[in-house]
Amino acid sequence: MNRILCTLISLLFAVTTAAQSTPLKTGSIAPEITLPRMDGSMFALSSLKGRLVLIDFWATWCAPCVKEQPQLKALYEKFAPEVKEGKFEIIGVSLDKDKSTWKKTVDRLKINWVQVSDLKFWRSPVAKDYGIEELPFNVLVDEQNKIIAINLHEKELENLIQRRLGATREQPRSIKAATLNNSKHE
Amino acid sequence: MRIFTERTIMKYPVFLLVLLLLFKSGLVAQSAKEPWKEQQLIAPRALAEQIDKKQTGNILILSVGPDAVIRGSVDMGPAHEPEHFAKLKSYLKNVSRNKEVIIYCGCCPFDKCPNIRPAFKTLTGMGFKKARLLNIPKNIKADWLDKDYPTNDNE
Repeated sequence: MNRILCTLISLLFAVTTAAQSTPLKTGSIAPEITLPRMDGSMFALSSLKGRLVLIDFWATWCAPCVKEQPQLKALYEKFAPEVKEGKFEIIGVSLDKDKSTWKKTVDRLKINWVQVSDLKFWRSPVAKDYGIEELPFNVLVDEQNKIIAINLHEKELENLIQRRLGATREQPRSIKAATLNNSKHE
Repeated sequence: MRIFTERTIMKYPVFLLVLLLLFKSGLVAQSAKEPWKEQQLIAPRALAEQIDKKQTGNILILSVGPDAVIRGSVDMGPAHEPEHFAKLKSYLKNVSRNKEVIIYCGCCPFDKCPNIRPAFKTLTGMGFKKARLLNIPKNIKADWLDKDYPTNDNE
């Protein structure tokens, strides 16, 4: 009976996961991203070769994405030494369409990693290149621009980054505590 | 609440499966009262056909989400933001209460959308008798753009 139950549950989750699959594959090279930063200057993903990079696809109109930003901020603070040493970076790729809304939200959330967007909403070629079906969506790429993880969030994402960076030092605050603290000050 | 004890769940694997299926299908989440009725929902395909056949003369289509993608729709902006909510209310002031008004968002599935509820409540609260909501299960990309339904871009 228990075996049947386990099989049924596994099947249920397998079907859900398959339905959400994307053409991206771990192990393949991340498609190049060439998009303008908020100040209009161009950014290229390939310029970050040599670093572990978290590409966060988001938009101000996506409530779960906005909700996730303080967590990413805590992650960015946690790995600030690695960012400084040129080992880690986060890139925010926005599928917004309105620059002022995008800028206002980035300012309000005090996001301090690079933000890029062509302000083309779902029509942005980057959405097609990465096979994005829904937001939030993210990709973790290694030092050779190779995809090592797709759509990991929260502790799972933090743990993988920690492992990849070999950052063994104890952190003063966990991401969750930092997030809670941040939201208290908002 | 005693029926939900760990012991009960372990003892009755079928009960656990049913509970899981309920959560998976969203039945539990949907039991919360929504401001719209089932018959007030309109399927994307049905609206797309109406637009293609140019049968939307007496229909007002309003985007209360990220973008007015649908052909002929008017952009109100995300309704959960106070300035856009005010814009929606002021726009509707001069619209006949007998007009069929279809709102849509498409940022994300209904359970995560912050826009459709305040917008729909405003419609019904203002006395629109034919208030409708476009039934977008996933988002505007998957349920409209990817299906090549008519957009404001490809007019």
